[in-house]
Amino acid sequence: MLDQLTLSDVVIDAAREVFETMIFMDIETPSDAQPAVTGQAITGSIHFKSKSDSDLVIDGKSMLGSITFKGMLEGCLTISVGQSCAECIAKNMLGMEPDEPLAINDVCDAIGEVSNMVMGSIKTRIQDIYTDIEVSIPSVVTGCEMHNSLGENVSKVVASAWLDEQEAIEFTFLYREAAS
Amino acid sequence: MAKSLMIVDDSATMRKIIMRTVRMSGLEFDRTEEAGNGKEALDKLQGDPVDIVLCDINMPEMSGSEMVKEARKLDCCKETKIVMVSTESGQDMIDGLMADGANGYITKPFTPEKFQEKLTPLMN
Ligand SMILES: [Mg+2]
Repeated sequence: MLDQLTLSDVVIDAAREVFETMIFMDIETPSDAQPAVTGQAITGSIHFKSKSDSDLVIDGKSMLGSITFKGMLEGCLTISVGQSCAECIAKNMLGMEPDEPLAINDVCDAIGEVSNMVMGSIKTRIQDIYTDIEVSIPSVVTGCEMHNSLGENVSKVVASAWLDEQEAIEFTFLYREAAS
Repeated sequence: MAKSLMIVDDSATMRKIIMRTVRMSGLEFDRTEEAGNGKEALDKLQGDPVDIVLCDINMPEMSGSEMVKEARKLDCCKETKIVMVSTESGQDMIDGLMADGANGYITKPFTPEKFQEKLTPLMN
């Protein structure tokens, strides 16, 4: 079983690969950040603190892209971004100008694809250990102050990143090993 | 000789991104088609076959893996090169798809260079 620190690196590396090659954006995680294990013993989470050392807050309307997986490891990856950041990601992916209009459906679709690609990249990175992971089709919802949960005995890795030093993105990887 | 292309993916955004990446790779097609799943692709191919199909795997209605198998039963797709474009990267999965009749495999995320490398040999 992979420990949480390793999984946290996997999530960030996967996200970085997708953002650099497909979205043409750099993801920053503060290089001096010490991953701090927080939360309860069973569901402990790893959180990268921001430069200002304050917790990541995604204000106002946000978009949550999620994708579930099953197999030897089961759970859910979610990507949470503010609405304006989501639009910015979609426009970059599509090669659009910043002021070009973009339909909300296209933004949802783009965030779904980002979830899909980040999960695919995570799967590739852990498939030597978890050989049978099957991934669902992504879904996207919009709302305010959204959270996800998967019930009991679930471990959680939270990795935060910034675009252009201001827009926050949060990747949450909830997982548990399937009972054999 | 100019070639034709079909992009099959359930995400309209991903179809646009693939199209843009194909253009950036310098490969030229005189006709490009799109489909949102395997079934829609097969319907279109039967009316108007293309030279190269770029095909996602995880799609509703009919997946890319089913589409490859079905396409290989059709006369109109005998010469069509089918290249899978997916986040799936397991070697067993890729071997299975190639055995079923796929001609190549590109993993997401991808670059224009990757498209050029994988598609150029199939275009001659
Ligand atoms: Mg798909």
